[in-house]
Amino acid sequence: MPGPGTTPERTVTEPTLFPTEIPQPLAFTLNHVPVVLHAKPGARLLDVLRESGHLTGTKEGCGEGECGACTILLEGKPVCSCLLLAQTVEGQDVVTIEGLAASLGARVHPLQAAFMKHMGTQCGFCAPGMLMSAAALLQDNPQPTEAEVKEALSGNLCRCTGYTRIIRAVQEAGAQLRARSDEVTEALSSEAVARALSEGDS
Amino acid sequence: MKPEADGPLATPGAARPAGEPRGVAPTYRVVGTSGPRIDGPQKLDGRACYVDDLSFPGMLHAAAATSEEPHALLLDVDVEAARKSPGVLCVLTAEDVPGQNQVGVSRKDQPLMARDKVRWVGDRLAILAAESAAEARAAARKVKGRYQRLPGVFDVETALDPETAKLHDGGNLVSKGVVRKGDAEAALLEADVVISNRYQVDWQEHAYLETQGCVAVPDDSGAITIHGSMQCPFYVQTAVADVLGIPLSRVQVVQAVTGGGFGGKEDYPSELAACAALLAWRTCRPVKMVFNREEDFRLSTKREKMVVHHTLGAKKDGTITAVKAKILVDAGAYAGLSVVVAERGNSSAVGPYRVPNVQVDTLTAYTCNPFGGAFRGFGHPQVAVAHEAQVDELARQLGRDPADLRLQNLVEPGDQLASGEVLSPPVEARLCFTTALERVGYEDAKRRHAAFNAANPTKRRGLGLATIAYGGMLHACGQSLEGAGALVQVHRDGSVSFAMGHTELGQGAHTVVAHVLAEALGIPLDAIHRVPTDTRLVPDCGPTVASRTTAMSGHAVLDAARQLREVMVPVAAEVLECWPEKVEFVHGRVRDTAPGGKELAFRELAQACFLRKVHLAASGWYAPPRKLYDPATGQGQAYSHYAYATHVAEVEVDLATGQTQVLKMTCVHDVGKAIYRDGVLGQIEGGVVQGMGYALMERLVVKEGRILTANFTDYLIPTTLDIPEMDIVLVEESPEAKGEAVVRLEGAPEQVRGPYGAKGIGEPSLIPVAPAIRNAVSNAIGFPVRLVPCTPERVMDILVENKVDPYAA
Repeated sequence: MPGPGTTPERTVTEPTLFPTEIPQPLAFTLNHVPVVLHAKPGARLLDVLRESGHLTGTKEGCGEGECGACTILLEGKPVCSCLLLAQTVEGQDVVTIEGLAASLGARVHPLQAAFMKHMGTQCGFCAPGMLMSAAALLQDNPQPTEAEVKEALSGNLCRCTGYTRIIRAVQEAGAQLRARSDEVTEALSSEAVARALSEGDS
Repeated sequence: MKPEADGPLATPGAARPAGEPRGVAPTYRVVGTSGPRIDGPQKLDGRACYVDDLSFPGMLHAAAATSEEPHALLLDVDVEAARKSPGVLCVLTAEDVPGQNQVGVSRKDQPLMARDKVRWVGDRLAILAAESAAEARAAARKVKGRYQRLPGVFDVETALDPETAKLHDGGNLVSKGVVRKGDAEAALLEADVVISNRYQVDWQEHAYLETQGCVAVPDDSGAITIHGSMQCPFYVQTAVADVLGIPLSRVQVVQAVTGGGFGGKEDYPSELAACAALLAWRTCRPVKMVFNREEDFRLSTKREKMVVHHTLGAKKDGTITAVKAKILVDAGAYAGLSVVVAERGNSSAVGPYRVPNVQVDTLTAYTCNPFGGAFRGFGHPQVAVAHEAQVDELARQLGRDPADLRLQNLVEPGDQLASGEVLSPPVEARLCFTTALERVGYEDAKRRHAAFNAANPTKRRGLGLATIAYGGMLHACGQSLEGAGALVQVHRDGSVSFAMGHTELGQGAHTVVAHVLAEALGIPLDAIHRVPTDTRLVPDCGPTVASRTTAMSGHAVLDAARQLREVMVPVAAEVLECWPEKVEFVHGRVRDTAPGGKELAFRELAQACFLRKVHLAASGWYAPPRKLYDPATGQGQAYSHYAYATHVAEVEVDLATGQTQVLKMTCVHDVGKAIYRDGVLGQIEGGVVQGMGYALMERLVVKEGRILTANFTDYLIPTTLDIPEMDIVLVEESPEAKGEAVVRLEGAPEQVRGPYGAKGIGEPSLIPVAPAIRNAVSNAIGFPVRLVPCTPERVMDILVENKVDPYAA
């Protein structure tokens, strides 16, 4: 009876490497760190991130740019990494779900916290892409209306939640990001005040 | 203060489980609350490992070659070219299966790989493993079948005709279910009004965002481990053992984080796992098999297409006297779960109405169409479209208001359902219905829509009602699968881990069960860790289906918690120097409730138990009482309890395009008790949107058994831009129920339910949606729609046929 321990049947094939199959070095910034990964010229960015980059947070839901599960930020813009040839990101800035919080120098991004609070995810498979699209939106528009959130996330399919909690979470995260930047502004201005004062003293 | 031991823990696993004694106001600390999911953080930061994220040293990738013909004799399978294809290590056909070449979950009619005959384009000719997924797929395309074509069977309505080609030796009839109550024929002859119509409800694709997948890993002990995206590890275990011809004890199945199921990962993962296991067994290497989206569309199961001929008889005053229905269920090429889906359709065809004479015949037929399977609602959504459309048609015929007519016929305590079972109070059907009318402001809404319609030549608004009684837990015919276990361990530092046999698909099962466990042990949720579902930890719990996980696994952990408290209380009494009866577990502390009593942390008690060598692990088990049911008449106790729901849809139809926009859904659900409130609301919101897709846009185009819409470009599921406003109301029994929009109701459950009186919500959330929207669209355009989904094309056909031209002068 076949089973572990028996000799597997094996067809020996000599691998023939065409130029398109030889991995090439690819230098870019991945989650705020300069990296050099190796990618075949025809490889999709999605596969390079997941396989060479060991970043499996970015998901493949359809492979043709319809579901948005593979969304990453390229130079701050949300793009489907399943539609992108890896080589095209040479020298550019790529952020995946694993680097989202670090974009703010935080351990948890306000979007992640808001998705937790409002149960913005169920099965979780769409969440990485959804969060990246939402992050891009809030970067450009920290106070989006409900209609603007819907528009920005319309390329990200979710089959579990019915979207309402996602929309609520994004709006709340926007409010927190605004508060955060207000704090920073305030901190800066009080620093400036302090500096001005000390300069005045001296 | 009342010791918790008098609460639900006093009666786990009993015939009257869960519910509080009538009149007692229970105080829960965790149950009924909202809060983060326990699996939330890893799902939101990318750590969660779905099956395609798993990797093992030496792992190969598998693909399957499937039939090019929908129905043919299979003369030969040529795998030579595939064997020589780059990267290929192993190619297997039906001849290579060491055990049974069978994967049918309900019947042994489905080969893992075709031999002699193919019956649909998903039949496998060969499976193969290669160094990469791309190489495996490329090689699969080189497998060639030699066929002798047979006439295809593509129409469920003619599949059972004697002259139709036969897919299986026994003919094309898979099964026949009946309900016989009173004398429907005679009652229809005596009826003042008879409404008879044909409804066609098409296939639906699950479209879970994560496609099907698994990894099979053989080990050096002669065992094999399957990691996979799945609902039912015990089905997978059985299938792999059967196909490999090894005992169940040598097959371990571990559920990976699963990206949605909705029924689509009930039976199909067994097939995938059997393929991967076979290849792993032969190559002695781990084998991964993950579908791409197109493969998933083409090969996995679908919600069955059904054709329902529904006849309703009533008196002039609106009293429904008879229902006669003939339901045709398109199973696809194999029985799969369609035969079980048909049972639920059969038992649900009348709806929550008092109907003395019922005759239902449910015929499930083999065809060469897409493979039918389980999908949220499990046969109920299709028949609900028919029964709710029929009530609207009756109202129209009688010149009555559809709400008023429903109220006249809705079941009340003491009434019988079609199964003949007498409903014991509380029966929340009427409460759900009237609450929905109040929330929507029914009369006002009707006036508003009429005013809008009068002012808009090209747009029509309409309102549709749908109300259902969803049978809780498994149908009586499937009760051999009704048992569930759980393993709970209290560690010496007071942290608690649990494993259950049901799976987390996204629905929140693990969080709900953690709530039950936290309540039972009086510990905070963050003290609890859940272990992935693993067949080596918990005995066979049956499938994770039928909205029953909260009830089944919830009772199982309650049983385990009761056992743990039994051994911990004496130690606590010893340490606290008090009577055991006075010991209470609450907020992570254990205390003597007598005046001036001492207390200690749960953690300290765990440590004290450890030092005294108390066994701090418990295996819980729950099996509900048997249901008595006669399949020959469809009479008896079909289900353990009923969950009622009413949805009201308000829509706007563009007469120029046939496009429907759902403006608002008002959804009232009897949930017994919302254990994890956000989870319940999330299930309803998701169910409504999925149901809306089913009602309006998700049309699977099938031509001669081939799916032409096998991707998200052609098969449209709702996006953020499609969702309606939702008003959701939970009807609960507990007077303690907190939160917005909760109807408070006195009374206690008489039915077998989940812990704390909970009823399932996964499926009831979807079932009324398509019926309500279909009724609203019909109401808006003034003509009945009898095909679901009500796509713009179908609505336009009706408008054109009836010469509705919004641009006519």
